[in-house]
This record gives sequence, structure tokens and C-alpha cells, in this order.
Amino acid sequence: MATTITKPETLFGKRVRRQEDPRLITGTALYLDDLKMPGMHHACVVRSPHAAAKIRGIDTSAARALPGVAAIFTGADVTGLGAVPCAASIPGLRVPHHHLLAQDRVYYVGHPVAVVVGTDRYIARDAAELVEVDYEPTAAVADPEKALAAGAPAVHPEWPDNVAFNFHQEGGDTEEAFRQADVVVRQRITSQRLIPTSIETRGVIAEWRAGERSLTLHSSTQIPHLLRTLVAGILGMPENLLRVITPEVGGGFGSKLNVYAEEALMAYIAMKINKPVKWVESRRENFQATIHGRGHVDYFELAALRDGTILGLKLKLIQDLGAYHQLLTPVIPTLSVLMMPGLYRFKNVNADVVGVFTNCVPTDAYRGAGRPEATHGIERMVDMLAQELKMDPAEIRLKNFVHADEFPYGTATGLTYDSGDYAKPLHKAMAEAGYEQLRREQAAARAEGRLVGIGLSTYGEICALGPSIALPAGGWESATVKVEPSGKVTVLTGASPHGQGEETTFAQIVADELGVPMDDVLVVHGDTAVVQYGIGTFGSRGTAVGGSALYYALQDLKAKMKKFGAMMLGTEQVNFSGGYCVDEATGKSVTFAEMAVAAYHAKKLPANTEPGLVATHFWEPPNFTFPFGAHLVVTEVDRETGAIEIKRYVCVDDIGRIINPLIVDGQVHGGVAQGLGQALWEQAVYDESGQLVSGELTDYALPRASRMPWIESSHTETPSPVNPLGVKGVGEAGTIGCSPAVVNSVVDALSPLGVRHIDMPLTPEKIWKLIEGARA
Amino acid sequence: MKIGGTYAVPFVPERAFELLQDPAVLCRCMPGCESLTKTGDGEYAMQMKMALAAISGKFDGKVRITESQAPTQFRLAVEGAGKIGFMKGSGLLTISPSGAGSNVQYDGDVQVGGTIASVGQRLVETTAKMLIKRFFDKLGAET
Repeated sequence: MATTITKPETLFGKRVRRQEDPRLITGTALYLDDLKMPGMHHACVVRSPHAAAKIRGIDTSAARALPGVAAIFTGADVTGLGAVPCAASIPGLRVPHHHLLAQDRVYYVGHPVAVVVGTDRYIARDAAELVEVDYEPTAAVADPEKALAAGAPAVHPEWPDNVAFNFHQEGGDTEEAFRQADVVVRQRITSQRLIPTSIETRGVIAEWRAGERSLTLHSSTQIPHLLRTLVAGILGMPENLLRVITPEVGGGFGSKLNVYAEEALMAYIAMKINKPVKWVESRRENFQATIHGRGHVDYFELAALRDGTILGLKLKLIQDLGAYHQLLTPVIPTLSVLMMPGLYRFKNVNADVVGVFTNCVPTDAYRGAGRPEATHGIERMVDMLAQELKMDPAEIRLKNFVHADEFPYGTATGLTYDSGDYAKPLHKAMAEAGYEQLRREQAAARAEGRLVGIGLSTYGEICALGPSIALPAGGWESATVKVEPSGKVTVLTGASPHGQGEETTFAQIVADELGVPMDDVLVVHGDTAVVQYGIGTFGSRGTAVGGSALYYALQDLKAKMKKFGAMMLGTEQVNFSGGYCVDEATGKSVTFAEMAVAAYHAKKLPANTEPGLVATHFWEPPNFTFPFGAHLVVTEVDRETGAIEIKRYVCVDDIGRIINPLIVDGQVHGGVAQGLGQALWEQAVYDESGQLVSGELTDYALPRASRMPWIESSHTETPSPVNPLGVKGVGEAGTIGCSPAVVNSVVDALSPLGVRHIDMPLTPEKIWKLIEGARA
Repeated sequence: MKIGGTYAVPFVPERAFELLQDPAVLCRCMPGCESLTKTGDGEYAMQMKMALAAISGKFDGKVRITESQAPTQFRLAVEGAGKIGFMKGSGLLTISPSGAGSNVQYDGDVQVGGTIASVGQRLVETTAKMLIKRFFDKLGAET
């Protein structure tokens, strides 16, 4: 027994390199497409080239005749199976029956019509081209506002108005607020459709074991357990005979927070042909058939007093839903409404949402999911108000922020903001950027005729989703910690991380709590046969909810280990810390490994204590967390070309306590990249007839490394009282804070030309036309 | 998408009109046309090869001539489908005398779908214009 103990420094807050990275950057990690099964067949999905058409017939004879083709499935084969699920429960929601394969009609370009299975993927693809589908094209509508117009083609003939739902939410007395207002600013603001574009597309392998009547589904998903429950439901098979395994996932951003037809189809096909079957989505399919994000047309009205005090907000939100509801499609715009007050004190909000069917692929959660649209709107509106009142955009924000002593703060939309000090990150961002000096430089540049802009956004967001009452599935998360007999520690997390670095963050938490080296900790996830039920990773919840579940499981385990330590030391007065249990009186100690051995050898047990060292905790947070921050962007616009140069990007994000600053940096950088993508370049474009024009990476402008500005990222840390770690979540912060700051900056640059608003993306062509228009 | 243009041909309107209604001539002049067979009054079945950006493939289609007013105008409707997608186009051709020859003015709509739409839509307009120009260049070389 040792007697001298050095307390290790804690890892909470340390820039620890990611445990995941060696396998990822050396190419030894296994993604879905790396997996091969004996006798594995390959599937190719035949998709509709029409946005709307009747199917008069399908001739598969030529495809079946191709050597190597094992089976072909069409809509008629799957009528007995369940539908692609939607978890939304909005009153009066119209839910079209979403068959796994099209029945007598197709509703969007990319709609799955048939599946061809061959002995290799080339045969499957060749055979898919031989499937003759006799379509009778019908009129299509791809624009949500046009879909609402009288006489528009009906996406679903049974609902000719194309309205899937109306949703109303209000708080306070908005009419009275508008009566008292000195000034009202109004603007139509769009958040264009975006394509999530994870580097790894979707993919599925289904493996049927006929003898056991069990099915293993490997899928690149964010939600293995929910997928298991829902696919078992679609197939009508017992949930405990279905196992979902999530291999390495190369990005999701919400697009894999879903249950897709192909996941259920591959499971069904594997059972039918009694062979493992693999389907890997091509990039073109990914663009056409994986959910898109955003797709808003918002009409805002903001009422204020002449001194800049905001009184109230009205919003008419038109959500482009696409042709069907995927898992959360109708829920996303309701999140926008919740976030409408932003960081401001006004208590009067009146919002009407109309969800509109279009002949496009469904929209659903994409990084931020409803909150970027809301933040973009309110942050643009506040800037327009400042412009109208000739106030500084920082001043108007500071005037309207919820005060630091008002938390917990109840909003007009029924939320309770957990903690905050909203002026702090704004002041810090302004100090780091040198705001006063920047304004002087801007004035000098304008005097020379240069177009220089300074843009702010002070965003809030809803993270760590969330209490169960607020989510369609549960809002909790689970963790199991096992101390093995050798003293090594295994964590099973239900959160199923897919790039967020929780194998590292969670190991840091374990190392701090148990006093073991990080390298002794293994974090396991993404296998429903190994890991207890979990919800998954989305909505910036992995660490805040999953990490908190782990924290509580560790407390249970520590208490048990302490009992073993006390028994071994023969005293009740012991301390458990730093990997030792220490007799407070004598300083004698037992090591972590010695306690582990004692717990498993179990020759002698403490009173009322079972052998073994395993603890499981399911934890539901009492509230969301509400991170916030300030982004400040300096831009210069080239008068001759309309090109935008980002000269400074300063962001101060308050995401609560920070466990690993290196991982947080990565999240902020990635989030800002996708925010810049929306602000400047990306746009999913459907033409009038519903053809997806931006159908490939050649036509869809993703942010590239060479176009990224230097990001000056820092933080303030306001702990969240919601969870024991004090963390809030950072997965979406960069995306949410970015786009309004960039657009505010460019509008500021062009304001001498009379420009008041520009819709995203701010392509050089659009900017150049505005400059030319001002010249004329 | 709208396309249009005016092309000069070295024939008087009557001769131009006649050539533009002759399946053999049309097929010789249409880039990628492999066969054009008359199937009815003003109706033809067509097989053609089409290439756009990195994609190419065969189209089976129909050509229809309507609103025919010799020798000044007719409407040409073309539709085709193949593994790489489908296309539909309709245009009004107006023939007017110009010096020793004629001007043929074309005003129409083109719509594409399938792979050609998702991969090459931004090239459709320029490609269509180029193909039409090649058609009239070849037509001009007819005797």
C-alpha cells in the first residue's frame, strides 16, 4: 500500500489532443463502405427524374435479364411494410403516407422508385439503368410561395392548397406593442435551402441471420437506438432481434438524424434474398435524396421606440417542407419561433408558421435546425432598426439585452434562459477587434470611395436538447461506466458521437473523476447490442446531456469504490481521489487497481454491496441550455467585381464551461465555415419544373479551405446551472452566429449606396448588380 | 428555359421551308441524329446521341411539326428520353426573305430533366445554342 500520493492536475479545460484522430488521419478507421461481408450483394436505387409524375408502369424484364442481378423490388413489393416515420405532433398536421418506394406517383426528383440488387455494385448500377419506368409527367411546384398561390399544382392531390400545417405562437400583447411603437421596420428575409453535404454520404449494410431470425443493420447514422426502434416498427419485427451498428461516421450535421427509406429497404431486402446487402449513396443521390436544410421565407416586422427600445416582433414564416415529412421536418420551423426573441428583453412576439409542400426533397435538421434562420432574421432586423434610427448596431444591442441579473429569464416564447451575461462577449469582441478604431478606418476608407463594412451578430441558441417534454423522443441520455478487473475503464455512451470528439472529452471527465490516466479509458458507442439505449448526438447535446449522464454514473461508481477502499483500509474515514482511497487518519491508501480487483474477486464484500464495478445512469436535463456570443466581421467589397473579402472574423462564444478548448476550436471553425457557406456561397436550386439544378459539387459551392478567413476565436465562460458540468454545447454556435454577422457587414459596406438588405447567398453577381444599380 | 436566335441560310424561303420539313435533311443536319423516320403527318420518330459536359447517351424521341404555314413558319416540338435524362423543347420557326437567301428566326423553350439537369443544367443553354448553330451551318451547306 502506497503512502505518498501526488494529486494529478485535472484535465477539465485542457487542450488534450483527440483520441480519435490517429485512426482517422491515418486512414485506418472503418467507415460503412470499408465493411465487407461474405456473400454481400449490392443495391442501387432507381430514382425519379421527374419532380411530379404518375407511374403508368414499370418494366424490369431487361434489368432482370442482366447476369448477376439477384432481385428487383418496386413499390408493389413494399405496400405491406410501414412508412418512413415522422415524429412531429403538431395539431392538424397533414402527413402523407411515405411509402418506402413510390407507389403510383413520384413527388420529387430523386424519389426512390425501385431497388436493383446485384452481385457487385457495377452490375446493380447497370441494371438500374435498364429498369424502364413509364412516367406521365404532371405539373410541379418547387417554390413555397408559388405553392401557396391560388391555382398552384397540388403536390399531393388530396391537399390542393399545399398546406401541411399552420402553427401559431404568441406571447405578450404584440398589437399593443405595435400601437405604442414610434417606428416599425419590415423586411422579407429568406434562408435558402442548403445541402448538408457530409463528406461521407449515407450508407447501409443489412445482414440477416435466418437461423437466429436476427438482423444486423450497419448504418451511417446519428441515432442508432432510435433507428433500431423505428426500423423494427417499419418491418414489424421484434426490436430485440434487430441490432444497429454505427461504424465511423464521416459527418452528419443533422442529415443523419433521421430514418430513411433506404435503411428499412436494405433490411427488408437482406431478409428477402437471404444475403447481406450493401447500399452506399452516391454524391448525386445525396444531393437529391438526403434531407436539405433551411428553406425559409420570413416576413418580419419589428416595433421599437425612437430611443431604440424594441417592443415587439411579428413574423410570418413560410417553411418549404418538400414533398414529405422526414423524421423532424415540421418541427424545425417551430424551433425558429422559440428562438425569435434572441438575446433581447422584449416580451411581445406573434408568429405564424405555414408549412408548405413542394415537389422537392424534404427539409429537416441541418446544423442549427431552425435557430440559424431565427437568429439571421432577428439580427438582420435589429441592424435595420439601428440603420433606421441612425444608431450604432452595438449600442442598440446593448440597450436591449436581457440584463445579467435577470436570469433565469422567461421569454415571450415560453423558454427560460438558464444563465447569461450578454454584454460580456460583445464587449470582448469589440475590444479584440478594436471597434472604435475600425469605425474610424471605415470612415477613412469610405472617404476614399472604398466599400468597407463592419457587421455584428449577438446570437443566442437553444442547446443540450433537452427535457423529454420538449422532444418527440426522450430528451435524456445514458451512460454506463465499467471498471474492469484490471482497473481499465470502459464507458458506454448512448450519445453516439460522430465527429464531436467525445471519446476524448468523456475520457477527460472519467480521468478527472476517477483519477485514472486518460489512456486507460475506452469510450464505446454506436452498437445497440453493446450500449444501453440512448437518444443520440444532435442539437449540441452530446457533452451537455450525455456527458452529464456519465458524470452521474461516475458518482455512483465512486461511491461504490469508496466502500471497497474503506473495507480494505479498515476505516470509514476515507477519501477517494486521484485514483486512490486514502485513510484520512493514517495516510495509508489502496490503489484504484487494488479496489477493482477486490470488487471482482469478491472474497469479502462491504455491507449491502454487490460484486463488480458497473454503474449506469440515465439523465434527463431539467431545461435546455442557452449559449450565446458575439461575432464581429469586417468585410470589403470590390466595386468592380462584387467580390467580398473578409478582413477580420472575431468571435466570442460563451458556451458555458469548456472541457477541451482544442475540440471547441474545431467546432467553432467548422461551424463558422458552414455559416460562411450559407452567407456567401451555398444554395440548393430547383428550377421551375422541380429539377435540382445544383445537382453536383461542381454546381454547389461548398466553403473551401482556401476561402476561409483567419478566425479570431475566444470565449467568455458563464456556467450553465442546468447540468453538473456547467457546459452548454458548441456544435452549432459557429453556424448560428456567422451568417447574420457576415450579411450585416456587407450591408454596412454597401449602405452608402442605399442598400438596406440582401438575401443570402451574397454571390459576387448579386453584389455587383446592386452596385451597378446604385450607379444607374 | 427560353432560347432564341436568328440564322441566315442561303435559300429562298420556299426552299428553306422545304428543306426544314425533309426528314433526311433534318437528320443529316441535326448533330447526333442517328435516324429520323416519318411516323405520321408531321410526326417523326428520332434516335439521337447527345453529349453534355461529362455525360453522353442516346435519346429516343419524337419530333412533331405543327402550325405549318408554308413558306413562312412552323412549330417544331422535340421530346426525347434516355438513360441520362429527358429533354423537351418546342419552338416557332419564322422564315423571312433576306437578300438572296432567308433569315430563320427561332423562339422556343427547352426543359431538361434527370442526370443532364442535375449535372449540366448550367450548360444547357449554351449547348442548345451551339447545336442549333451547327444545325443551321449544316443546313446552309445543303444543296
